[in-house]
Amino acid sequence: MIIAFISDVHANLEALQVTLADIEKQHVDRIHFLGDAVGYGPEPNPCVELIAANCDIKLLGNHDFAALGLETPDSFNEIARVSMEWTLKELSARSTTAMADFELEAIDGDFYMTHASPRTPDLWEYILDIDSACSQFEHFEQQVAFVGHSHLPAFFCKRADDTISQRYITESELDPDSRYIINVGSVGQPRDHDPRACYVTVDTKNNIIRYHRVEYDISKAIASIDSHGLPQILGERLLVGR
Amino acid sequence: MAEIVVKYDDKVIEKVVIYKRRVSIGRTAENDIILENRGVSRKHAIIEFNESGAVIIDNESLNGTFLNDRRVTEEMIRDQDMITIGKYHLLFHNSAEETHDEESDYDGTMILNTKKQKQRLKRNDQDKDIVRRAGSSVLVGEDNSDFKEYALEREVTTVGKAKFVHIKVKGFFLSGIQAKIVKEGAVFSIINIGRKGKTMVNGEPVQSSLLRNGDLISVGRSTFRFVEASR
Repeated sequence: MIIAFISDVHANLEALQVTLADIEKQHVDRIHFLGDAVGYGPEPNPCVELIAANCDIKLLGNHDFAALGLETPDSFNEIARVSMEWTLKELSARSTTAMADFELEAIDGDFYMTHASPRTPDLWEYILDIDSACSQFEHFEQQVAFVGHSHLPAFFCKRADDTISQRYITESELDPDSRYIINVGSVGQPRDHDPRACYVTVDTKNNIIRYHRVEYDISKAIASIDSHGLPQILGERLLVGR
Repeated sequence: MAEIVVKYDDKVIEKVVIYKRRVSIGRTAENDIILENRGVSRKHAIIEFNESGAVIIDNESLNGTFLNDRRVTEEMIRDQDMITIGKYHLLFHNSAEETHDEESDYDGTMILNTKKQKQRLKRNDQDKDIVRRAGSSVLVGEDNSDFKEYALEREVTTVGKAKFVHIKVKGFFLSGIQAKIVKEGAVFSIINIGRKGKTMVNGEPVQSSLLRNGDLISVGRSTFRFVEASR
């Protein structure tokens, strides 16, 4: 079975459409979405609709929480706050109702999923390095935790002897005796200096995990950001992937 | 401008449009709103209008003044609030505000001893205990509830079927997050987030509703009573 994991779409419809088309080519059995459908980008409603229609497990991210009015965007930086205020006005009742069924964490077999961290799914911690990863393993029971949130692809492995490593991979075999925290990167706003949309597939038969990068028409996404009056920097950062 | 609809036994007996800044309510003829019943004190309460709105002030009346079923001495009142004095219900409609005045003492007022009045006083006392213990406004579980009392301490309390919501409810076709209860200052409101028609206040489906003391909130098959700490 092949499962695709996508995260941090952030209302970037161009990137989402191209990513879903690419996933279709991989003949996946399921698509799981790890949160932040909205925020930053100019197309929240069509993105929520596509995610709701195409994904099996759908999670809430911190921007989705704010968009549902479940927390105030106090902790957001200025750009995130401005775009969230815009999103709150733009979001349709239909999108809100769809997002009201998204979860905070979920399990599919040996895979645990949450947007930010297994330890405190609703506190939006970042898992960025070995230090922040090592304390997370005790907070899920499954072999692998898939997360998003940082927009940075990351692969943490805890071996049977308790050593923890961070590796930079595009493809890897999962060792049945090891446990993993895998950040699947971001579809709609990558920040690892690679502007291409990012997602992950896992082939459960061969225990292979793969990162996929997909080019999309960034100029279209930028034109949409501009035409909706969102801060220009949101377009500029898509070009450079940061 | 404010209007008060006076009801007795659920029949409208008077509509009063208020132009004054201070409106007195009581049994005797010098009051602006006269409630001719021995359960009402001679000068029972006043409604006073100021910059920030209308205030009901009980004038130490013998049988008490109730705002949305909670006994009050001095409280802000808002559009659609229900003031109960003896057997009278005064429905407050606002584009301004209203006040009542009465005097309490032993001025010849008959002590109300009806079953309803007793129940009201008893529940009022119980509710006071509940909010004192909780230190905040509270939801009291009525039907299909996981709790007896739930203190509404958060700015946003989520209600629904998802594992992570604060208040879990029962029922079919409910959304994971069906509704949120939002606290702004001392004022609470409930907002339906999930599927339409699943959040009701006093039997009416709502998308968004201010909460008043005594309101019955139903989400799916679960019902809670809102007990408000002093505003």
